[in-house]
Order: sequence, then C-alpha cells, then structure tokens
Amino acid sequence: MSHANETDEVGHAKSTDRGHDQEPSPIEPAVAPSSAVLGVHEMTRTFGEVLAVDTLSLGIEAGELRAVIGPNGAGKTTLFNCIMGALNPTEGSVYLNGSEITGDAEEQRPHKGMARSFQSNQLFADQTVLENIRLVVQTARQGAFSMDLFRSHYSVGRERAIEIADDVGLTADLDAEAKNLPHGEQRRLGIAMALATDPDVLLLDEPTSGMSPAATAETASLIKEVRDDRGLTVVLIEHDMDVVLSISDRITVLNRGEVIATDSPDAIQGNQAVQDAYLGGMREEI
Amino acid sequence: MSSTLDARTRMQRLLSERSPAALLGALAGVLLLGNAAVQKPGLFIDQAIGGLVYGMILVMISLGLALVLGLMGVVNFAHGALFMLGGYFTYATMASYGLPFWAALLIAPIGVGIVGIVIEVVVLRRLYGKEPIIGLLATFGLTLMIEEAARFVWGASAVQPAKPEFLTGGTDLIVTQVGTYRLFTVAVSTISVAGVYYLITKTDFGLSVRAGVQDGEMTEFVGVNLPLRFTAMFFLGSAIAGLGGALRVVEFGIDPGAAEEFVLLAFVVVVIGGVGSIFGSVLAGLLVGWAQFLVPVVLSALAIVTGVSAINVQGISDIIPFLVMIVVLLIRPRGLFGEEGLLE
Amino acid sequence: MSGESTDRATGGLPSMFERYKIPLGLVVLVVALRPLITSEMVLGYNAIASKMLIMMLFVAGFNLLFGYTGLLSFGHAMFLGFGIYIPAILVLNGAWVLPAGGNITFLVGVILALAAVAVYGYLLGTLIVGMGEIYFALLTLAFSQAIYFIVLRNPGELTGGSNGLTQGTLPDFVEQTRGEIAIEAFGLSLDWYWAVAVVFLLGMLALWQIVRSPFGRSLVAVSENEQLARAMGVDTTSYKIWSVTFSGVFSALAGVLLMIQNSGAAIENLSVFTSGDTVLMAVLGGVNYFFGPVVGAFSWLFVEDFLTNFELWQFPLSEVTFVTVDLSDILVYWQFLLGALFVVVVLTAPEEGIWGYIRSVASWLRKRMQQVRA
Repeated sequence: MSHANETDEVGHAKSTDRGHDQEPSPIEPAVAPSSAVLGVHEMTRTFGEVLAVDTLSLGIEAGELRAVIGPNGAGKTTLFNCIMGALNPTEGSVYLNGSEITGDAEEQRPHKGMARSFQSNQLFADQTVLENIRLVVQTARQGAFSMDLFRSHYSVGRERAIEIADDVGLTADLDAEAKNLPHGEQRRLGIAMALATDPDVLLLDEPTSGMSPAATAETASLIKEVRDDRGLTVVLIEHDMDVVLSISDRITVLNRGEVIATDSPDAIQGNQAVQDAYLGGMREEI
Repeated sequence: MSSTLDARTRMQRLLSERSPAALLGALAGVLLLGNAAVQKPGLFIDQAIGGLVYGMILVMISLGLALVLGLMGVVNFAHGALFMLGGYFTYATMASYGLPFWAALLIAPIGVGIVGIVIEVVVLRRLYGKEPIIGLLATFGLTLMIEEAARFVWGASAVQPAKPEFLTGGTDLIVTQVGTYRLFTVAVSTISVAGVYYLITKTDFGLSVRAGVQDGEMTEFVGVNLPLRFTAMFFLGSAIAGLGGALRVVEFGIDPGAAEEFVLLAFVVVVIGGVGSIFGSVLAGLLVGWAQFLVPVVLSALAIVTGVSAINVQGISDIIPFLVMIVVLLIRPRGLFGEEGLLE
Repeated sequence: MSGESTDRATGGLPSMFERYKIPLGLVVLVVALRPLITSEMVLGYNAIASKMLIMMLFVAGFNLLFGYTGLLSFGHAMFLGFGIYIPAILVLNGAWVLPAGGNITFLVGVILALAAVAVYGYLLGTLIVGMGEIYFALLTLAFSQAIYFIVLRNPGELTGGSNGLTQGTLPDFVEQTRGEIAIEAFGLSLDWYWAVAVVFLLGMLALWQIVRSPFGRSLVAVSENEQLARAMGVDTTSYKIWSVTFSGVFSALAGVLLMIQNSGAAIENLSVFTSGDTVLMAVLGGVNYFFGPVVGAFSWLFVEDFLTNFELWQFPLSEVTFVTVDLSDILVYWQFLLGALFVVVVLTAPEEGIWGYIRSVASWLRKRMQQVRA
C-alpha cells in the first residue's frame, strides 16, 4: 500500500508516481491496483457497440469497506462480473493480493479468497438453507472438483454451515427450502453462502435491495460486523445512500463505465462531479 | 439474429477466417471431387442431383425448425412429425380422395400448417420463456402422439401415391438421365425456400417478429400483434416442412418412422449451420445432402485410383450427416454461422 | 433431491429411518416385485420381473445424468449398447488366449465393456458438456445414431448387423431350460431373477451412495443453478463430465444383464426409440426423485405388457365377470395416450412425475390423518 500515501483526494490522484502514461483514466485509484488486496487495472468491457466499463482502474486496501455507487447502467455489476470472472474483460487486468488473476477460471476465484453475492437472488432453490450453505463450505474445503464418493454429505461441513447460518441470523430457517424464504432472508442467505467460501475479499451486489428500512439497517450492521469480526475486505454495490454513508470507509462513484471519484463518504457528498453525474443520470431517466 | 446481416458479408466473413489447414482441406476436397467426377461422370452427376434433391428436402424441414428455435427459443422435436404428415396428407388427397397432384401440393402444406397452428396454440405457447429442455420434452411427446395417430390411420408400413404422369419421364443431361420429378422437386423447393427466406429477412412481417423476439413489450407497444405473428410464423415453418413431405412421398413413400428420422437430420443441419442462422441452415442442408450422396462416389473413385478397396466403405452414407456435424462442431463449436450465447 | 425430510429438529441430523429409507425401499422392492408381478392376477409370467429390474437400473443410471446433473441425454441407448455388445462379441468369438463361451471370457468382456464405456463417456463428456444443454441432448442423440449405424453395418462380421447376435453369446454358467434362465456356479443354482436382483441392488446402492456423497451433492448444485455453483467455486465442467461417465457405466451394467436376459444382442436396444423410451420412463416416473426411474420403468413395462397382452378388460377379475370390454382396437395404440400423458406431465410438473404425485398425495393424507387425530 506504499502508493496509497496522501493522494486519495479526488483530482490529485494523478500525482502518484505510477509508470503508466497511456491514455489515463481521469481518476487514478487511491491504491495502485497491483499492490492492493484487490486491484483492477485499466479494465474495459464492451457489449457489441456498448462500452459498459471504460479503462477503469481501482485499488482496494486490506480491511477496507468500499462502496461502489453510480447511476443505473454505470457498469457496476459488469465490473463485478469481470472481477469475479463471470465475464471476461475486453481489456485490462485484475489483481488479487498483488498477483494477476485475469485469466483464471471463474470457479477458481473463490478458492483464491474472493467471493460474491448476486444482485438477484441466486440460490439452490429446492435445497434447504442448511444445504445451500453446506454445499459452499464443502466446495471451499474440498476444492473446485473432488471425487469424494464414499462418505455421506452429512459428514462434510455441516457444523460450519450451522455456525455461518447463526452468524447471519438464519438459524430458525435452517430446514426451510431456500425458495420458500422471504425475499430479505434470501438475500441474507446469499451473503451467508459468500461467507461460506471463507473469503478475504467479499463483493456484495446490492445486498439490501428490496428490503424494508428496518431489514436494511440490520443488513448494513451485519455487513459491518462480519467485516470487523473476520477482518474482511468488502466491496459493496449499493443504492441506499444511508447504508453507503454509514458503513463504508471509501466510496467510488462510477458513471458511464468510468470512475469519476473515489473518496471518503463526507468528501463524496460535497463533490461537484458526483452531483452532476447523479443529476445528469436522473435527467436522462426522466 | 445474424440473418440481419447480408448473406454475402457473412460468407465473406467465414471465408476470411481461413487458415492453412482449411485451405488444404478445401484443396483436398476439390481434388477428391474432381477425381470422382473423372472416374465416374455419370454416377457423379446422378448422385450430385440426388444430393441436391435430398438436401433441398432437408432445407425445407430445417428452415421451420431453425425459425422456431432461433426466433422463439423452442426446440420443436415435433417438426419431423409435421414433415411426415405432409407426406401422409398428400397420399390421402391423391389416393383416398382421387384429387390431382397439384391439389395435393396445395392442400398438404396448408393442412400441415393448420396442425402446426394447433400445436403452437395448445402446447408451444406455454413454453415461450421456459427452459428449452422442457420444450424439447413436450414436443417429443407430441411426436409420439402424431406418429401413433398416423399409424392408426395409415398403418405401420410405408405408403406411396402414384407419380403424376407428366413427371414420370426422364430428362437427358448428356452424361446421364435424370428423373424429371427430381428436377421438379429441386425447382419447387428452391422457389419456396427462397420465398420464405425473403419473407423472413426482408419484409416487415419477418422484421416485426424478429424485433418482437428482441423486445416483446416494445413491439406490442408499437401496435404489432405479436402472438398472432408468432402463430403465423409457425404456420409458415410447418407448411414448408409439409411441402417437403409432399414432394418426398411421391418419390420415396412415407412411414411413421420418418418423423424421428427426419427431425434428427434437421437438427443436425441446424447445428451444422449454426443455431439462430437461417442462412446457415440453408447452406448446411445442401452440404449434408451432397455429402451423403457424394462421399460414397468419392470413396469408390478413390479406391479405383489407389487400388485399396477398403477405402470404399459400404453404407457410410448413413453416418455421414453425423460425421459432418461432429467435425464441424470440433472446428467451430457454434456451427458455421452460429451466434455466441444462443441456447447455452 | 428433495429427499430431505422437513419434520425434524432444526439443524439436527435426520433420523436413521430418513437416512436409510432408500436402501430399505430397494430391498423391499426386490423381494416383493416378483411374487406381485408374476401372480396369475397380474402378468403371470416370470421374465417380466427381471426385465423390470434391469430397466429400472438403466433408467436410474440415466437419471443420475438428467435428474441429478441437469443434462438430458437423448442417446442413452448407446451406453446400454456397450454392455450388450462387448461381452456378447467376446463370448461368441473368444478373445486372445481366452476360449469362446468361457466364463472368464465373459467376465473379461464385462470388465472391458465397463472400462470402454467409462473412457467413451469421459471423452464424449469432455467434447460436448460445455456447449449447453440443448446441444448436449442433440449431440448425444447424434453420437448414438452414429453408433447405431456402425453396429448395423456389421463391421468385421462382429455385431451381426440388423439380425443382432442370437447364438452363443452366453457364458457357460448361464443355463437355459425351457425359456427359464438360471445361473450355475460353484455347484449352486441361482434363479435368474435373484441373480439380477443382486446386481440390481449393488448397482442401485452404488448410485444411491454417489447421490448422497459430497460428490453427488455437487452434481445437484450444478443442476439447480450452474451459474451460482460456478461463482461459489464448483468446477461444473468436471462434475458434468464425470456424471456422464458414471451414468454410462451404470447403463452399460444394465446392458450386460439385458444381454443375458434376451440371450443375445438385439439392435433395437441401440435405437433412437430405446433412447426415447428412457427419457419417457424417467420423466413419467419423476426425475426429481431417486425412486422416480424405478416407478417410471415399472409403470411403463407394466402398462406395455398389460395393455398389449390383455385385449379383454373384465371386471371384476374373477370367475364371474360382469363387465367385459373389448379394448383390442384401442390398446394397440396405447402409445398415443402415453404421449398425451407425457405432454401433460411435462407442461404441468416436469420434474415430479408419478412418484412426485404419489408423494404429494401421501403427504396430504398424512396431514389429514394428523388433523383427524388432533
């Protein structure tokens, strides 16, 4: 993190002594991608003619809770998908703990210490809550593929799964089928499954979407709690500004696939570029 | 849909991806075909026309299959059964009701189209947007029903109406005589395939259905009655398969087993051509037809030249379509003109 | 898949009965099937019971791939064919130093068949699982057709072409007297049904163990939500490939039994119709459940035999008949009704089938009983 120094003010970041002088993206990351826990270096992803992510760079510090915000279509989920390997970036690279993982298969990444939750509820719908979590614990322990044929699945990862369910407050629903859970609990199950991979870096895609204000606050404190307890690095896509401002250490604002600002919550609130982007975005939507 | 692209540009794009291996393969192919043409000119022309006739029939079946698959995302296993019904309807019109061939050529496709509409409205409509596997299973059940119904009405063995008199003769093509009926089949199928291709890629009707697939809500908002147009599209696909059946039954007869035999071949054609590409299906149908008829000639000619009789594998033509498909998929997993992301 | 019980303490292990009810059910099935099915009242002859067990094993092998991994194979007959043809060809011709017809030759043939099908399944899987499930269905169908045509061509006079292999394919330990098969080994004589039952039980228990193992749960994860499974670190491609491999091996095992059952190799067993029937049996039975294929194969063969052999429907089934209906005209076309039933099942509850229906009725009844008692 030597490059982090004092340059995480918006607009001053270019003064960092990084040796890249190709067409620079307007805002350099606060932490150099190659030395951060999670780094994205000049990533571009296109869909046909559409530029979803545009030479974007990002560096997340160890233990940081970083929120990524931006108007709809800013490229937030595409960024996540490219980081996690669900999509291949058209250009650019991804680093985890300083080593490049851009070409790694998607299923290898959880085993290297990064996990995600999805924007829409992605679950093993016909399985119980316990089995959903247990399957992930099993995978984390045994690797991406294991020919473990001679035991019962009851003997693998059950206790750990119950613990994790307890951590996220799903103990009462262990035996319920995932598809029968209320929406809010399904989202929490998504977080539990991501935690079950035992990650260093956790990427959460709108963990509070569709939740009541009370459940939203609960989930926000849950996220902060697991970060503090486990020393995780968390990257969070979130629309609820109360959540973003209350729990994140830094906020990165995306617009049209580019980073337009990265700063502390207080500074972001006063940032002119951010306000323009949001207002502009809203005007387009109207 | 890739068919929005001009056929010529896509051909150029395919050719521009050439590699030394592909060029070598093409050269070898030309040499082998040339050798066969020199060794057995009569048989070669004969088989080339046989392959063309067969290939056009395959194109007529595959077209409807590719339409429903590419546009609506439903794998219609019952499409072979519709082709089979085309043959039976022709037989019924001519043999049971004593109507002339021309009438059958009109009645059979329309009858099959109506059966297609019933299938679309009663079963397929429930499948849009569901997993394609469900559609495959449901239409597989439909195939069994239609097959069994055909067996009930027309019996288990093949039936064949009498060939119309003016098409019974042969036409002299210098090195060989070709049945006039075969030339007639090629003419009718070419015209109908070209017509359907034009309708889908160039007219408002085809464009609106394709737009509807991209964005159903928007198209309905603009005032196009989408379900009706889907049904019309299905009628079209069924009718042309029925016409294929009508053309084939006169020359080869038809039996209930044709349903599964031909839907399988049509799938092979669509997979080779690339799912989602109408143009690909047309090309692949001809490719499969020719491969099936010409490979035995090529092999036997090669056996003559090299003196190794083992090259002349008996009965290889049955597995040719599958071999072609396996080779194409190994080289180009999406088929010749397939699009990434469809049906995955 | 939904075999987990719900009425147990939260997070606790299910009861012993819950955990072992499937092996228990298999034993009950094997013991009860023949007396039940071969009684005069029902079908009245022996061979059908062993054929049912064989087809149950085959369809269960198929369902490891379809129900548990989410891959629909439309060419499963080819795997059956490995088990039918390879031992038959070896027993008929002998192999290397092994004499034709010998018991050892047969056993070598069986091992060779299972090894060959495993290698073939693995290679096929590697080639095609990555292309999406529709491609998988069509490509298995195409590969199966290619194999069918090769066998039909009778290469090297080995496969017998369209006649199949009808003479000299049985090893010495199989004794045939008046159509009844018995196994003669180590001075003991074992009825064919029980010999099949032993292999059936071993095969089904192995399948059950696969399904309940951590490996099997990963297959279920792949079938339920492939995208999520991959994001959680599951190598979905490898699991699919191995599922094809295992499924092929179990199907070939059923093929070996079928070869002895039919005293030879018939090409019909390799045809697209056999593959189609497999799909029908599994879906009608209920692909979501371990016993789905068992129920599906049973119902299918029962209906096929019952309806095509019994042209008169008499009620009640006793000496004095009140109602006699001649069904011969309709029942010949039972496949039409079956197709219709199949379409309805697929459109309404494609994964539940007959067994799912029985289960839901049973659980409804249980609830009612509890209400009445309370």
